[in-house]
Amino acid sequence: MEINGQLALTVLMGVFLVAVAAWLTRVENWRSYTPLASGGGAYGQESGHAHEKPGGLIRWFTTVDHKDIGMLYGLYGVIAFLVGGAMVMIMRVELADPGMTLISNTFYNSLLTSHGITMLFLFGTPIIAAFSNYFIPLVIGADDMAFPRINAIAFWLLPPAALLIWAGFLIPTGDIIPAQTAWTMYTPLSAGVGNGNQANAGVDLMLLGLHLSGVSATMGSINFIATIFTERAEEVTWANLDIFSWTILTQSGLILFAFPLLGSAMVMLLADRNFGTVFFAGEGGAILWQHLFWFFGHPEVYILVLPPMGIVSYVLPRFSGRRLFGFKFVVYSTLAIGVLSFGVWAHHMFATGIDPRLRASFMAVSMAIAIPSAVKTFNWITTMWNGRIRLTTPMLFCIGFVSNFIIGGVTGVFLASIPIDLVLHDTYYVVGHFHYIVMGAIAFAGFAGLYYWYPIFTGRMYQRKLGKWHFWLWMVGTNITFFAMILLGYGGMPRRYATYLPQFITLHQIATLGALLLLVGGFIWLYNFIISWLEGPVIESGDPWNLKEDGLYTAEWEWFDRKLQTKITDGGEQQDVATDGGHESDESDS
Amino acid sequence: MDENPGLSDQYRMASPWPLFIALGIPIAELGILFDLPALAVGGLLLLCGSIAGMAKEAGYAKTPWRALAVCSVLLFGLGGLLLYADTAVAAEGVRFVARGYAVIAAGGLLLLGSLLGTAFVKESQPI
Amino acid sequence: MAAKIFDKETILDLTVNIIPLGIIGFFVVVFAVYDPFGYDPLASAISFGLLLVPLVALAALTYISGKAIAGDEKRSEVFLAGQATVPGSQTLEEYEAQAEPDHEPAELTDDESAEDAETEPTAQNTDD
Ligand code: HEM
Ligand SMILES: [Cu+2]
Repeated sequence: MEINGQLALTVLMGVFLVAVAAWLTRVENWRSYTPLASGGGAYGQESGHAHEKPGGLIRWFTTVDHKDIGMLYGLYGVIAFLVGGAMVMIMRVELADPGMTLISNTFYNSLLTSHGITMLFLFGTPIIAAFSNYFIPLVIGADDMAFPRINAIAFWLLPPAALLIWAGFLIPTGDIIPAQTAWTMYTPLSAGVGNGNQANAGVDLMLLGLHLSGVSATMGSINFIATIFTERAEEVTWANLDIFSWTILTQSGLILFAFPLLGSAMVMLLADRNFGTVFFAGEGGAILWQHLFWFFGHPEVYILVLPPMGIVSYVLPRFSGRRLFGFKFVVYSTLAIGVLSFGVWAHHMFATGIDPRLRASFMAVSMAIAIPSAVKTFNWITTMWNGRIRLTTPMLFCIGFVSNFIIGGVTGVFLASIPIDLVLHDTYYVVGHFHYIVMGAIAFAGFAGLYYWYPIFTGRMYQRKLGKWHFWLWMVGTNITFFAMILLGYGGMPRRYATYLPQFITLHQIATLGALLLLVGGFIWLYNFIISWLEGPVIESGDPWNLKEDGLYTAEWEWFDRKLQTKITDGGEQQDVATDGGHESDESDS
Repeated sequence: MDENPGLSDQYRMASPWPLFIALGIPIAELGILFDLPALAVGGLLLLCGSIAGMAKEAGYAKTPWRALAVCSVLLFGLGGLLLYADTAVAAEGVRFVARGYAVIAAGGLLLLGSLLGTAFVKESQPI
Repeated sequence: MAAKIFDKETILDLTVNIIPLGIIGFFVVVFAVYDPFGYDPLASAISFGLLLVPLVALAALTYISGKAIAGDEKRSEVFLAGQATVPGSQTLEEYEAQAEPDHEPAELTDDESAEDAETEPTAQNTDD
């Protein structure tokens, strides 16, 4: 039996390798016939794409074009968002009633773990990478990323990572069950010791998947640092670098220092689980894990929030009819957040009984980091102040971002104060705090970006009425859900439980109601984006947002305009985009 | 922007290798972690083969063969490390021998491929 | 050279980062003078290290980035963010010169914008 299994695996692997080799030989041969387009003329590079990219599905599997990879990241992030959202909806429905009703407590714990990891690592980071891959080379005037192939590798590591992280759900056997460690993976639980069920291989698979996603993020970050430092067009000096690129540059720096550390810590944990090492076993082992994890974990939250701040800083002024107020303040405060975020990690560990002197220092730096965050908030508000505000859907999401970020940030500052944290730690207050930021701010900015650049991505315009419905359902839903959680936390409701005391029922039901609003909004969004992609009005000018009027027209739209004018379709997809794009757009070069 | 000399005009907009590098890494990791030699060997072959292919495609190497040899040396090192770990580890029920031999076997196959390639494949032929 | 780059304008831009530096510096002094938890060689050393390392790192990064940005401002033309490569876009100076006097240039024209219904202004401009 055992031998047979190994044999079958060997044969399978062999067949797979032969198939890959055969396919590669074919592709390579066939490609060597297509002449390499020389990037001579103004649009030579672009016509080069069209010739060189293979058609159909193969194009998407082999592309190294930053725009295609951006689209892939976007698709991936959206799918992960739907999966993570479905997981949390089951949890929220379970929580509509105090007892264990719909699902078992262990299954709740599995969903909780996967929801967190999916949203942070499979939605958050990739959706940011979608924007940065697509737009940074365009905005800084680079031909492509510095290392296009590494860019593709970084993306293709993600689908296997997702499969591994979800493996416990996907493989229906008794010995592989989904991890129930929560996203923080605290030892000893995650080391699989004791009587629990966390020694099963599902946890190992999850750790491997997470490790892969870290490798992917690290590759991506190296690529962005190299691209922004070396591939900028001559005019794009440091003084001319846009705010989104600044935030991505800072984020990449954070990734470069944070993710390899998480990777090493996870390898150590895997070794503890499988090879009998004792990194996290002895005295101090649990606290060692917490230090390693949060030294990664706090920078991670800024890895997730800085680029969305960049998107908001980039988009919000365009609908306020004026440039970003205090542009350089925003740049410098981004850098400040980047540095300081490495000095605050133990504010997640105030309740562990660490030395009060250390605790005090972490509190001090956590207070200091609130300043640059607040500075940005004031800059966004001042930008809108007396501006000519156009409440388009992306703008609404930007304003929602600012509003939710204020609540998330203020609750964070309270948590950073030791005495308050000792009361509120591990309650729903913390869950409320970080969801105001993760959902209310990061996801909102992500959707602001998706709406704002929808014309570039698809060549069409979405239905604006549905966009508004989406926004308002989400704005209201987010605030109902997560404000209820803040109140639950004040009441003493601990986090990460599938059941609760009856006294919390009302607030929990309110939170579930809010979550249902989010679900409805999500469906509207999905419908809108799919339908509009298929049959929305075709965009004919490179300035669908009338940015030229205010002198706020930026490079990626200018690129888009050129693309429309030259009627170049990206490798055969969406023919109709270009069929009559040439007429109207003439006026836009005046 | 259009006159950027250097790398830019060598860019190809498609490459088949990244996908397989990205597949090779998790397959090899799974094989080594769970002690499944077939996956370990197969994943490493896929990974190193694709790296060599990509190195050639990107112009870092004239042929993939020497890159394969370099990979095999690295794998011999890693396999040796695993074999050494097997003698050094005290924990009960933890064995690295099979893992070590799997990695070395992958290295051996790559070396073989490298030698055969150098001997029999003509220069100009794309892989 | 450095003296020229870090003129009044640049220093003003850098105040954003000088404030957190000040906060950390304040706590360094407080913990040194007030010393609420007593002195312990290891813990106190780490605790001050945790304040001083970010302080120095932030000061260094602020200096370097300030030099790069302000230097490039002086060396070459400055545009609005994201517009440097757009042909025919205004420089920052032109933009500022034009934005100063009173109202924004054109009244709204809602024609070919695909999301035109959204372009109506909601805030009346009453300039200060
Ligand atoms: C204004 C700056 C912020 C401060 C001072 C702050 C402070 C804190 C503190 C002290 C905690 C620990 C609470 C506890 O476990 O008892 C915490 C938790 C958390 N914060 Fe923040 N925060 C800030 C901004 C952010 C941002 C921008 C994000 C996300 C992008 C974020 C995400 C989180 C997350 C995910 C947790 C929970 C981690 C967990 O235990 O699972 N915070 N925050
Ligand atoms: Cu934190």
